[in-house]
Amino acid sequence: MIQHLVDGILVGSLLSLGAIGLTMVMHILRFANFSHAELLSLGAYAALVFDGVFAAILPPLAAQIGPLSMTGALALAVLASMAFTGASALVIDRLVFRRVRAKGGELSMVFASFGVALILRNAVGLIFGLHGQLYSKDIVFAVVLSRDPLLLVKPDQIAALAVALVLMLALHLVLSRTTFGYALRAVGENPGLAQVHGVNLTATIRWVWLIGGGLAAVAGIFYGLSYQITPVMGRDLVLPIFAATIVGGIGSIYGAVLGGFVVGIAQNLALVALPSGYSPSVPFLMILLVLLIRPQGLFGEGRA
Amino acid sequence: MNLKHTTAGLALAAGLSALGGAAAAQDCTTKIGAVLPTSVDWGRPIAETAQFAVDQVNAAGGAAGCQIEMVLRDTQVDPKVGVDAAKALVDLEGVKVLLGAVSSGVSMPILTSVTVPAGVMQMSCCSSSTAFTTLAEEGKDNDLWFRTFATTGVQSAMGAKVAQDQGYGSVAVLYKNDDWGQDMARLIAADLEAVGVEVTGTVAINDAQPSYRAEVTEALGGNPDALYLALYPVEGTSVVREWLSLGGTQNMIVANALKSDEFRENVGMQYLGNVLGTDTASPRSESADAFRAAYQERFGSEPNGPGLANSYDATMIALLAMEAAGPDADGAAIAAAVPRVTDPEGTPVPADTAGFEMAKGILAEGGTVLYQGATGNVRFDANGDVSAPAVIWAFTEDGVDEREYLSLDDVDAFIAGLK
Repeated sequence: MIQHLVDGILVGSLLSLGAIGLTMVMHILRFANFSHAELLSLGAYAALVFDGVFAAILPPLAAQIGPLSMTGALALAVLASMAFTGASALVIDRLVFRRVRAKGGELSMVFASFGVALILRNAVGLIFGLHGQLYSKDIVFAVVLSRDPLLLVKPDQIAALAVALVLMLALHLVLSRTTFGYALRAVGENPGLAQVHGVNLTATIRWVWLIGGGLAAVAGIFYGLSYQITPVMGRDLVLPIFAATIVGGIGSIYGAVLGGFVVGIAQNLALVALPSGYSPSVPFLMILLVLLIRPQGLFGEGRA
Repeated sequence: MNLKHTTAGLALAAGLSALGGAAAAQDCTTKIGAVLPTSVDWGRPIAETAQFAVDQVNAAGGAAGCQIEMVLRDTQVDPKVGVDAAKALVDLEGVKVLLGAVSSGVSMPILTSVTVPAGVMQMSCCSSSTAFTTLAEEGKDNDLWFRTFATTGVQSAMGAKVAQDQGYGSVAVLYKNDDWGQDMARLIAADLEAVGVEVTGTVAINDAQPSYRAEVTEALGGNPDALYLALYPVEGTSVVREWLSLGGTQNMIVANALKSDEFRENVGMQYLGNVLGTDTASPRSESADAFRAAYQERFGSEPNGPGLANSYDATMIALLAMEAAGPDADGAAIAAAVPRVTDPEGTPVPADTAGFEMAKGILAEGGTVLYQGATGNVRFDANGDVSAPAVIWAFTEDGVDEREYLSLDDVDAFIAGLK
């Protein structure tokens, strides 16, 4: 029971990172971006490439950091991949979403995002192959935190949780303490009014993509570190991330954080009650439940 | 002396009856049907191999007194097309024996909506689903269904054998949550219990999950001696890495789906030393070698495609059964004659023209024969299923290595011991 709870928190931290970007895009650009989860796989593969490059340039970096399976090269690769994925999100917006936004409605954007997801997923599959890949082939053994009740945790997961929490805290500080944060939130509330008050809409949207893409990259890399990297990981994660966003309330960054943890924990705890074959249904059930009971989500506010 | 005369007399009689058969065969042609996916590249050789068997039988004077004509229709691996083709063969051509189809998904609707209602015997070379076994157990196939392709039952039995041989007291089963995986999980759990190994849990693994942590934790809860994996490489890699990182045992038994370089490389050889896998194997018998030689001579290449030996045996056995059932027999009578040509106590006959001639003589006198075919000594159980030889393998640095080969008899004996 405790084990399932802890596992849920660890998985949840990854979902939260993915959901933050999604909820920002959904709120500020007002469309359900089904290609967001592909940014996770883009980030994971970018890190795979950067990791190889850094390890080749500076061999000392290829050593593992402490008990983690993460290497110095991979840590640097995380930063590079965040920048790359953020920039990719920006380029995708330039090439596709901005054009569709100018001409079509919300529904066109949703369909465009499906198309973008397919293109990204298959491009990644074409370049890297469809088989699973790993950052490190070594298996890092879980640490026994407690014997009774049995509690096992992998060092990598603790690191992922810590990084996720630090990023969330940083984002919180930016949003609540800086002018830029206010501008970002203002655009979310009412783009037209924000523009009237002198907020640069184009610049803000650019930042939304950069932040969303960067966080998605981190989530993708830690997911790859915990499990494996496959071209279809975006497809596998899109539903839990959407569930986290909807549970938290679209537009609420704090809601997305909480939603990620709620979905992660629920999916893990489900095994206590449900036969193992049914755990994929949990995100669906949660979306249904939230939409029925509290359509605006836990933290969301009703929109006129 | 006396005995010698009798033997000579018998041989003469056999020769005469064979000659008589050949003479009668000049006048008539019996049609049999074949529904196979000839429009796909691996399907055409299966059909050609069936025709090869028909040609050999015709060279021996045909079956049941007539030359045999195999009317071949394409299924396009599509159930609708397959059913239409089978219907045309049964209704328009009036066939009493239908060979095919390859895919279980095509064979099944043909069986339930064409051959069973029309009372036609159906013999598939290549369908492996256990749904047919279930159907046969319920008596809904009217004993008209046979196949020369082993079911997943062989794999699961071998898994249980490995567990027994390794002395594992308890095993947890992780299976892919699809038709094949559910089949395997059900079978392996029963087989493990049958050899006295405790099953501490069977956990379904859905593909494409963000984490298998919870599933693995659940399997770990039973603290098993070993793990049985009916998984594919992608989720197999994730699950096993998770399993090992949580301190799970390295004793593992895996089904043939994990016989993959991707799995071996991504988990790492250092953790796979205690992994034993199971797989079905091609037979290592004289009759199988003879088929390979004959195939090589006819087609100029080794019979390496899927289902070729099985297709040859399906055709040969169907024609032997037609011979045994005699002229103008209906589908049910032909199906009922199959045990007479696959009788373990019967006279062994090789799989070629001479063998068919020999079988004709023996069957004409009311005897039984044991067909020694391309897949070995084919023996159907009450549900029309066959088993197959098996290998037990292990991973090595550069691939897989065979640890043990079990002949058809060994496999059959082990499976019989389970029941």
